[in-house]
Amino acid sequence: MTSVVKRFFMPRSLHPGAWWGWAIGCAVVASRTVNPILLGLLIAICCVTVQVRRTSAPWAMAFRMYLYLACFIIVLRVGFRVLFSAAGPTVVLRLPVVTIPGLPSVRLLGPVSAEALVGAGGSALQLAAMVVAVGAANALANPKRLLAAVPGALYEWGAVVVIAISVFPQLAESLVRVGRARQLRAETGKGAHLIRNVAMPVLSDALDRSLILAGAMDSRGYGRSAPVSPATRRATSALLILGSLAVCVGAYGLLDTGVTPVWAGASMVAVGVVVAVAGLKLSGARAHRTRYRPDPMAAPEWVVLGSGILACVGMVVVSIAQPLVAYPPTQPLGVPPVSVGALLAVLVLLVPAALAPSPQRWPSGSVTVTADHAPDRQPLTLRGAPR
Amino acid sequence: MTRRAPLTLDDRPVPLEWKSALMLTVLTVAGLGMFAWPLFVAAPSPSGLGDASPFIFVALLPLLIFLVLAQISEKGIDAKALAILGVLSAINAALRPLGAGTGGIETVFFLLILAGRVFGPGFGFVLGCTSMFASALLTAGVGPWMPFQMLASAWIGMGAGFLPNRLFGRWVRGKAEVALLVVYGIVVAYLFGAIMNLWFWPFVTGPSMGADAQLAYIPGGPLLENLTRFAWFTLITSTAVWDTGRAVANTVLIVLVGAPVLAAFRRTVRRAVFAPDIEFVQP
Repeated sequence: MTSVVKRFFMPRSLHPGAWWGWAIGCAVVASRTVNPILLGLLIAICCVTVQVRRTSAPWAMAFRMYLYLACFIIVLRVGFRVLFSAAGPTVVLRLPVVTIPGLPSVRLLGPVSAEALVGAGGSALQLAAMVVAVGAANALANPKRLLAAVPGALYEWGAVVVIAISVFPQLAESLVRVGRARQLRAETGKGAHLIRNVAMPVLSDALDRSLILAGAMDSRGYGRSAPVSPATRRATSALLILGSLAVCVGAYGLLDTGVTPVWAGASMVAVGVVVAVAGLKLSGARAHRTRYRPDPMAAPEWVVLGSGILACVGMVVVSIAQPLVAYPPTQPLGVPPVSVGALLAVLVLLVPAALAPSPQRWPSGSVTVTADHAPDRQPLTLRGAPR
Repeated sequence: MTRRAPLTLDDRPVPLEWKSALMLTVLTVAGLGMFAWPLFVAAPSPSGLGDASPFIFVALLPLLIFLVLAQISEKGIDAKALAILGVLSAINAALRPLGAGTGGIETVFFLLILAGRVFGPGFGFVLGCTSMFASALLTAGVGPWMPFQMLASAWIGMGAGFLPNRLFGRWVRGKAEVALLVVYGIVVAYLFGAIMNLWFWPFVTGPSMGADAQLAYIPGGPLLENLTRFAWFTLITSTAVWDTGRAVANTVLIVLVGAPVLAAFRRTVRRAVFAPDIEFVQP
């Protein structure tokens, strides 16, 4: 029994899909409410989870940027509200009305009411919570492992993105080399010369290197596809085309709620998604993958994913059963109501912070060595090395 | 000196056969709908979905893009095309933060336009997707806006590939080609700004603002009314600074480096020879 528990909590990085599933769950929960208390709780949960479960990888450090972006969205949205129209019963600030000459129907600024501010703040907080959730997924999931989990149908395009991410640091190195060559030639040109003498050599260098890389890839079997029978190929294309058509028609049906019932559109979308996923699956047969370094979907992954799904379902139920909790009215002003069900639906998302195994942490006082050519490998730790 | 004829469609690194073209058409129509839904949709009904439709699009658009990409690569793609796509996506990802935040000067599009022109519409479409995706992973961040940026830049790259090679009975090369690309760059700079604003508009101004806000989106309002409101919104908030900055950046960069970059791309095409495999037959 203890060995099962020990194995569950063994420090390791989870399958990136689990974290993305959890984060999408957070975003769906946010999309179903504008209650500031619930949204604030959701943002706090995302922050806590990131703080507890992130590594020190560069992508994990970018979470702060998403928080800044969320703040910017709130300021922008409330600012637009004040600029365009914020009239209401409880006026808190009187601003002069500005009209644009020649356009009397457009009036800017004017009185600012508390109701308008609360309403704009609630919907801004909704968008901000979604951004924070996506930022949390970015911080918690390793993007390179996510690319390794790309379905076989998109194998080529996953390879392209991997090349792009690996080549990215080489561009800086190429820039340094061109700069050194210019120094040796004692070139001092500025402005437009800089583009001709620096940018163009870097570009040509990158293009030449890409052909060398292609040769290397060809000789190692990248970009090769397994033989597929023409019948399979035809079936794949048919599934892909039918799936995308069904999704489009279904989405149109969902929008056009006046004529078609919602269930018709939704079921059409669902059928389209199923057909399309079948097409992707069939199309993936041509890509052969390595069986080394698998990313398992084990119990901890299912716990993380399950908390996201549970919260989604809970919040959808709450938004239908208790619309006053999910979408509290802004008039009259007051503390937005909360219910036990709504709180539980949001608090389920806190489970991964407690139950997901912690990522590998390296003890202080040891030296961590990361090979430059393989930054995605686990860093090598030398214990007891001098500080 | 004889001028070599431009590459035919078969030689292109990412060929578009009729099935891919059909799916691209479907994606383009659906994508336009997903950008322009605020103009056409009836007021949200209280039937449970409410105004969740933009969030449904955020989930459905990536799926549609993936389906098209899967169809394009159905017969397998040459490793050389993959490598060039990867390298150009990396350069685009490196160029993107250079321009971000400095008065709308966006440096992403000029390389996309030039690459689409030389390597063809299929390549331009994929490059638009992969460079936005790679730059989101590297610097800009993944968010709900990403699929829409991917599609908009994919259209820009694809459109550049469809620009004519012969105009009025002459090859479009040299100065005429640079001029053509500059005009295209200016047009897409404003279109990109307008279409991304159109996506962003209901989120920023929002149905919650009420009909008395003159630039806000009215759910289910008359088409002309919403279109006028949107036109004023985009004119006041972004056309003067952001879109013009993007157009100027495109123009300056294409004029300055257009010719040498086109030459470098064409040299790469010649070296890589994207043609069907050579077969030896018995005489």
